[in-house]
Amino acid sequence: MTETAPDLDGLRGAAAPRNHDARTIAALTSNPGCARRGVMDAAGVDKDLVARELGFPAPFGQSQFAITRGNAFEAQVKADGCAELLTLLRERLGLDVPEVAYDDLEVVAGNEGRELRHSRTRRLVARALETGEGTLFDHPLLRLEIAGRFAYLEPDVIAFQLAGRLHVIEIKSFAVVDGQAEPEQVAAAARQSAVYVLALRRMVAELGHDPGRVSHEVFLVCPENFSNRPTATPLDVRPQLAVLERQLARLTRIDDILAELPGDLTFEPGERLAESVRAVEARYAPECMSGCEMAFFCRDEARACGSTGALGRSVRDDLGGVDTIGTALALADGSLAPSDDLAETAEQLRTAARLRAEALEGVA
Amino acid sequence: MSALSSLARLEAAAAGVARPLATVRHCHVAEAPLVLVPLRLAGEAAAPLAVLAGSAPDDPALLVVPQPRNRDLRFAFAADLAKLVLNHIETSRGEVEELPPGKEGEERIRYGDAPQLLVPNRGGVAFLRMLGRSTRFRSTEGPYAVDPAVPVLGRWLTWFADRYDHPGSSLLGAMTELLRLHWATGQSSLEDGNLAALMGWIDPPDGLDGPAAAARAEDPVAWPPAGPATDPTFDNEVLAPAIAAYDASGGGARAEARLRAALAGQLTPTWDLMWRAVEVLRGLPEGASVPKRWERDRDAFTYYHQTFGEAYPQARRDSPVRAARRLHDLERAQDAYDAQRAFDDPLVMAEHRLAGQAFGGVVTECDPARLDETGKRPKLRPHLRVATADPVRLDAGTTVCSAARPALKGRIVEIGGGAVLLELTGGMGRKLTPEPGVVPEAGDRVCFTSLTDGSFGMAKFPDREETPWTHGGPPEEYVPTHEDAEEEWS
Amino acid sequence: MFRSPGVPTPDELETRISELRAAVRRAVAAGDRSNARELRAELRRAEQAWDDAVLGEGGADAGAGDRADRDRDGGPRGLLPVREQVHQALTLLGAPAAPKLIGSVYAAFFPGGVPASRLTSLRRDEERSFRTAPYARPYYLCAALTADLLAPARGLLTVSTWPLEQRIVGPLSPRTDFLTSAVRLAEHAGRGTPSPGAQRLLWRFASNIPGAVTGTVGTVDPAVLAEAARAELEVHREPDRRRRASAAGRARAQLDDAELLFGSRLRALRDAGRRPAGNGETER
Repeated sequence: MTETAPDLDGLRGAAAPRNHDARTIAALTSNPGCARRGVMDAAGVDKDLVARELGFPAPFGQSQFAITRGNAFEAQVKADGCAELLTLLRERLGLDVPEVAYDDLEVVAGNEGRELRHSRTRRLVARALETGEGTLFDHPLLRLEIAGRFAYLEPDVIAFQLAGRLHVIEIKSFAVVDGQAEPEQVAAAARQSAVYVLALRRMVAELGHDPGRVSHEVFLVCPENFSNRPTATPLDVRPQLAVLERQLARLTRIDDILAELPGDLTFEPGERLAESVRAVEARYAPECMSGCEMAFFCRDEARACGSTGALGRSVRDDLGGVDTIGTALALADGSLAPSDDLAETAEQLRTAARLRAEALEGVA
Repeated sequence: MSALSSLARLEAAAAGVARPLATVRHCHVAEAPLVLVPLRLAGEAAAPLAVLAGSAPDDPALLVVPQPRNRDLRFAFAADLAKLVLNHIETSRGEVEELPPGKEGEERIRYGDAPQLLVPNRGGVAFLRMLGRSTRFRSTEGPYAVDPAVPVLGRWLTWFADRYDHPGSSLLGAMTELLRLHWATGQSSLEDGNLAALMGWIDPPDGLDGPAAAARAEDPVAWPPAGPATDPTFDNEVLAPAIAAYDASGGGARAEARLRAALAGQLTPTWDLMWRAVEVLRGLPEGASVPKRWERDRDAFTYYHQTFGEAYPQARRDSPVRAARRLHDLERAQDAYDAQRAFDDPLVMAEHRLAGQAFGGVVTECDPARLDETGKRPKLRPHLRVATADPVRLDAGTTVCSAARPALKGRIVEIGGGAVLLELTGGMGRKLTPEPGVVPEAGDRVCFTSLTDGSFGMAKFPDREETPWTHGGPPEEYVPTHEDAEEEWS
Repeated sequence: MFRSPGVPTPDELETRISELRAAVRRAVAAGDRSNARELRAELRRAEQAWDDAVLGEGGADAGAGDRADRDRDGGPRGLLPVREQVHQALTLLGAPAAPKLIGSVYAAFFPGGVPASRLTSLRRDEERSFRTAPYARPYYLCAALTADLLAPARGLLTVSTWPLEQRIVGPLSPRTDFLTSAVRLAEHAGRGTPSPGAQRLLWRFASNIPGAVTGTVGTVDPAVLAEAARAELEVHREPDRRRRASAAGRARAQLDDAELLFGSRLRALRDAGRRPAGNGETER
């Protein structure tokens, strides 16, 4: 756990480490093969800053209207000892919640230190599992091992204990209209919730209990239709959990990547920043644009070397894994003889090129 | 995606300009479509902020909600938009065509034309759908009364959004999708979702190539997003102060004018782009089956318009029978649309050839007068051997038809050695010798396919009264409730 | 870089405004905050100059609007000082409460309104006053203390003259206090005819308590509300009371006078180690 720690801290330079959140972890699993992202996240590098320094700022700003709306909705649902949330659990989901305890884990005696918060979370979860004490745990601080290192998780959720089982409750401000929400937003919420469920399960297992006591059913709380009235929807995140566990297991160990890198590598702002970033291989795909601060830089790099991946995964798949545009086109026009493993792809490309040319002949 | 369209992307990337995916236009473009560029307040499901609308490039109307959280202002906006959209609907009907009477002798008519709505992207369609949902149940009397035009707008927007789901319909179009149907760019489909970037590849401004134009289009300050989402820095630095100033002024005209100017600045570039895109689409020759599909759109429009007065707003959820029928209709429409495009366009047919469902080549042998005399009466069954290099994946016995003239039907006799032997079975006239010019001759280029252009029988679904118990039994007649009308829109 | 000599024309100003807007947004996107701030100020000046040039100085609705805006801040003021208003609302509620609830209660049952902006700094002001001159005032508006660490609970206000047990919050207390407040508000409202504002407030309570809603949506029978709240309170009251009482015992043994009112942060600090800069520390 500790032998490469100096290297990681060195990568970050003098800056304080950034926490993972479930969004970054969910995004991480969408591109597990990217070493650049893996190393930068493991070191807690401020990727946003790095991207800006490189001249490719990430367009992840949020509108104050969206922020205000999100905060107001969350505050409303949690107001007065989570009164509205409790009503949802009791009436909408038909749960029998006789006694309601509320523990705020976001701040421990005015302090937000993450070790402190994590240990308090652990203590209260242990107690809940043993004695059934506690109902709503707001803002638990969890940990998850990622690529051989522990990352703290800042979930903006409530852990809900009922009859010895824990559920994750996630409050989101996108609307559920006639029982339906935007599929991308629900999918993103499900991926994030799965991260929390997994982290909570690991904690439960560490505490010597059955991880199955953390339910795969999470409760999504959203505004209903066009109002501010909250509604709760149970969401089965088993598929997301399966993907997540698989991807986490597949993540290249950070230590292995680090072993290949020069010892004096650093992501501190400066003249050599671009060179340092390029020293760690990236695997760019258009999906990165929605989740990684480095995406614009990596896209530029991928385009500059004519990578087919920059055109999208489906294009790459259609091309049978041919990496560069130049190679694919050369295979298509027959100017490049394919190696054995590309023979079939080349055949397909040549046919496609011939058919396109034939069809376009009449027009041109 | 297919290897063919992926190859087109590669070509585009290498050439620095979009490459065609079609040789003809597969959608109807109205003479005067209603272009709508809507903006929504960030963080809200359907809080309109502004829309630029009109059916001529030099005549946009700007509608704005100066304080999007104010319910009365929202409904005032909805009423204004309603007048605009409903006016377009009423003026796009054209002459009424009398059709032959129906089976039970009922009168049947079809409007000579139909309204067409164009929005920049799929987000625009989703926004219209939401706006329709949030306005169609409104009551025009009682404590929460709204302008009578508001629920009418809601029902029409819902109808347009419904038709959007219908493959091949041109009543409501998302410009990015229409363009992507005809061109491949050298960027990913994610980036193609940006109308300005997409147009940058298809029709780059003077002095720029596709990548340069697309790069410029990705700067939200230089090129405002096409909506309905706004750029966060615009929200934070321009919109929020302007709305705050409007609030502070107690709804002052001057503050409102400034807000309108700021929003117009966000909308105008997309407005211009929309009309340029319309011109680009018009530049393609219309596909042969486009008028036929537009006729179906006109039928749908005629029916909805004629029955509007006696119908309720569309239900919140479809009943099981309706949902199943709708799904079936959509699948059928998709098959027909795919086939029609292939018959209209050799470049689309090339996709089917690559997939092995069609083949093209030169006729090497031809026996146009061959007769099958095994039956009671002799039948005209010409043989045709077509040399092809296509990867044919059809079995002997499969029925195929000619891409150039679908009426000419045949059956595959054998495949092999880079050739297909066909026995022609129909579409050559009624005599024992084919009509002149119908059977291809040796040396002709031909293309045959197993696709059919989609005339299927009507599917049988139970009437609503006979909905099976497995699907919840007959649904209650949907009647909007007071609650629907009162539903908050905040 | 955006200067031009002499008095600019409206057209020049418009160009400058749009240039400045773009520049501000670019600065923000690039994370350059100080530059963004300067540009923003310059933008406001340009907008003002445009207003003056085009609409004439102090144009019709701007002047009136600005005044209206000043009056609007925080709504109509009550006659009492803010701390008196908060005291009245808390006394009616009888339990620790968040500023938002305090504001709603005051608006529903008393004349005028509590300016929300003033509530955020209230507790800090009270603590300063107490530390400068202990017990100089008949009461202080102070913190609720968390039962486990005796630290100030986030966002809750209480009155110093309440028994310590009432000012301590354990895990069950948010619900207990919510129900207690419901009972007290319902009883208070039941003595007269509740105003529409009071009805709305009672509805907020009733809709979140099982069995408290019997009639039509939006209307509450205070007696039914009180009854339903008492029924659920039965489940929570005893364990909550024990918890609060034991914490109060610890507090009396461990804390000094000021800490008893405003909470202890010492132990937490000792345990904490380094603390990252966060934005959730506003309630300290």
